[in-house]
Amino acid sequence: MLTTAPHLYIRRPSPTTAEFTVTTCPPLTLPLRLALLALSTLRLSLAATVLFALYTRFITPPTPTTSPTSTNHHPPFPPHPSPSSPAAYLTPAHLTALLHVLTASAPGQHLARLTAPLPPWLLSAVSGALLYFALLWRLHTTESLLVLRGLGIQTATTAAGGALWGGGGLWGWVVGFGGPATRFIPTEKIRDVLINEAFQGFEVRYYLVVVVDGEDDVVVVFPRLLPGRRIVETVWRGVRGCLYEAPPEGGYGYDGQWKRG
Amino acid sequence: MAPTYNIAMVSDFFFPQPGGVESHIYQLSTKLMDRGHKVIIITHAYEGRTGVRYLTNGLKVYHVPFLVIYRSATFPTVFSFFPIFRNIVLRERIDIVHGHASLSSLCHESILHARTMGLRTVFTDHSLFGFADAASILTNKLLKFTLSDVDHVICVSHTCKENTVLRASLDPLMVSVIPNAVVAENFKPTFNPAETTSHSFSQNPPPARQLGPHDPITIVVISRLFYNKGTDLLTAAIPRILENHPNTRFIIAGSGPKAIDLEQMIEQNVLQDRVEMLGPVRHEEVRNVMVRGHIYLHPSLTEAFGTVIVEAASCGLYVVCTQVGGIPEVLPSHMTVFAKPEEDDLVAATGKAIAALRANKVRTELFHEQVKTMYSWTNVAIRTERVYNGISGAISEADFYGYDAANAASWSATRGRSGVQSFALIDRLKRYYGCGIWAGKLFCLCVIVDYLIFLILELLFPREKIDMCPDWPRKVVDESNGRKEGAR
Repeated sequence: MLTTAPHLYIRRPSPTTAEFTVTTCPPLTLPLRLALLALSTLRLSLAATVLFALYTRFITPPTPTTSPTSTNHHPPFPPHPSPSSPAAYLTPAHLTALLHVLTASAPGQHLARLTAPLPPWLLSAVSGALLYFALLWRLHTTESLLVLRGLGIQTATTAAGGALWGGGGLWGWVVGFGGPATRFIPTEKIRDVLINEAFQGFEVRYYLVVVVDGEDDVVVVFPRLLPGRRIVETVWRGVRGCLYEAPPEGGYGYDGQWKRG
Repeated sequence: MAPTYNIAMVSDFFFPQPGGVESHIYQLSTKLMDRGHKVIIITHAYEGRTGVRYLTNGLKVYHVPFLVIYRSATFPTVFSFFPIFRNIVLRERIDIVHGHASLSSLCHESILHARTMGLRTVFTDHSLFGFADAASILTNKLLKFTLSDVDHVICVSHTCKENTVLRASLDPLMVSVIPNAVVAENFKPTFNPAETTSHSFSQNPPPARQLGPHDPITIVVISRLFYNKGTDLLTAAIPRILENHPNTRFIIAGSGPKAIDLEQMIEQNVLQDRVEMLGPVRHEEVRNVMVRGHIYLHPSLTEAFGTVIVEAASCGLYVVCTQVGGIPEVLPSHMTVFAKPEEDDLVAATGKAIAALRANKVRTELFHEQVKTMYSWTNVAIRTERVYNGISGAISEADFYGYDAANAASWSATRGRSGVQSFALIDRLKRYYGCGIWAGKLFCLCVIVDYLIFLILELLFPREKIDMCPDWPRKVVDESNGRKEGAR
């Protein structure tokens, strides 16, 4: 529900500029926005829980709350700062106090009991994996190709899955699709843009490549998604038209079958 | 308007590797494309030749990445080829799968899978096999397996047909003979001086090549130097031929494990000045070697067709060959001297050929034109097209198999409409079951597994998700005068 098959958006801010974006993110309708918001909240709370579990296990509070009577209303730390100054809520002392409260609370105790029998290495591994998933996992893959006539083309990839591989890292997750892995190829380096076929897994796929002058390997556009022939041909036609000149009558192609796409 | 087909040629053997099967597939595909069909070739990846490629005339070649085990044949993994084969067949909209060469496991597998997918299949056999040794028995069993359920079989000679029918227990009616051909333009004899000076006045027929009694005669041998090509026979015969006939010399081209024997023979008899060994030559250089000689000697022990002797005759060489396999069918008797595959007879036959040449009794300069009219790839393509028409029902059963065959009561019970093999799984199983007590059951099991894999693939990779390939512009054949035009 949260992802779709790769589909194409074309943005043409000016006749000499075009951006082709292929994404698995469906159109952002209100229900989808709400669902994504809920998912983010869930992930953040998961991360917080994991961090808290690690805290209770490894950084033992200096004075464990032995007497249950003194926990709720009288923390053994400086008294609450006055609520009139909101900045005081962020002081280290206050945070420590808050942690103590949490540790002593029923869910905190439950969590501590839950993690207690686990060996430390297992606990760290599990919580590491959970943290990675909660903070750095990306839901959608978005790849784009920006074409500027006279300047060149830029490919950008924001891959689903572990954000460390997809580029952008934590910051990329925080600001949305802010930190994709990009590659700019200036016009004079572009020898050709073409569509090719290759074996991938049990399939033969179409893909769009840029042949770069002086490089042995070609640059594959949309390397993660490898969209189908329809999208690839649309992009190819658009790139040729934008990069070089307006396409001839009826577009590029060998005969009717190519032109129709 | 004749029907056109989308044809997939499948074989382990294709360019860049040189050879007879390879050039057969290429030439046949090219001529079929000229006749308006769409042809693709599926082979395995060669070093430096991988992925999907187009040859210059728009022939598309899929080099499927696979493990090669022996002499560029791939490892027989019965089912592993199916997913990618299905993908290629669907995206290219293939109607007919045409497999080549009985040693190619890729070809056998694809025929099995194609039948499972409900496609018409044709198999072309290019070689003869024995029945006795272990390897032959295994190959024959495998052949029997795939050919139990094939629509039609093509053999390159009548001897080859006989051999294939026996090996695979086929109905002889479903086996056609379509010989190989040569590109006669690539095998022209050297020009006579008269022709080179004035092209427009080139005589027809060309003047005879006169050979004086003491002019040297060159005997050419071009073959891979393997046991089955009769290199041992050659090693034994050469000293005796050279002893009997002064003013003769040999040119031997080719490489192989028996080359060392030949070299030893040359050393022992001190024949360095009369026997020239060229080593391996490329196929396009074969003509240049051939035109240096007068006689072509072909000592092969087994041969399904022997394209090379046609090439030699086309170059204007008198041919001495062993009377084995399909060789006697290949050339008319005035171009050849036959010998039994034994040393004495080969020496005698070569002597006869030398004597005939010295007496100027053989008009070798006419051979080229004669071969040109006998063998052309266009003709092969027309005959192959007729096979395609027959199996797809475009021409009637009576036309294709002959009138009496259409009514014969002995016609196989598992056949469906009009002599065309039915695709129903139960009918296919019946055909496989007859292959042997144990083998029949094993083959049925394989077919059932193949069918299940097909169903799973339909679920995992649904047809509508597969991108269709745009067709290369087809050539349009004008049937009225046979003239070919490019599309638009």
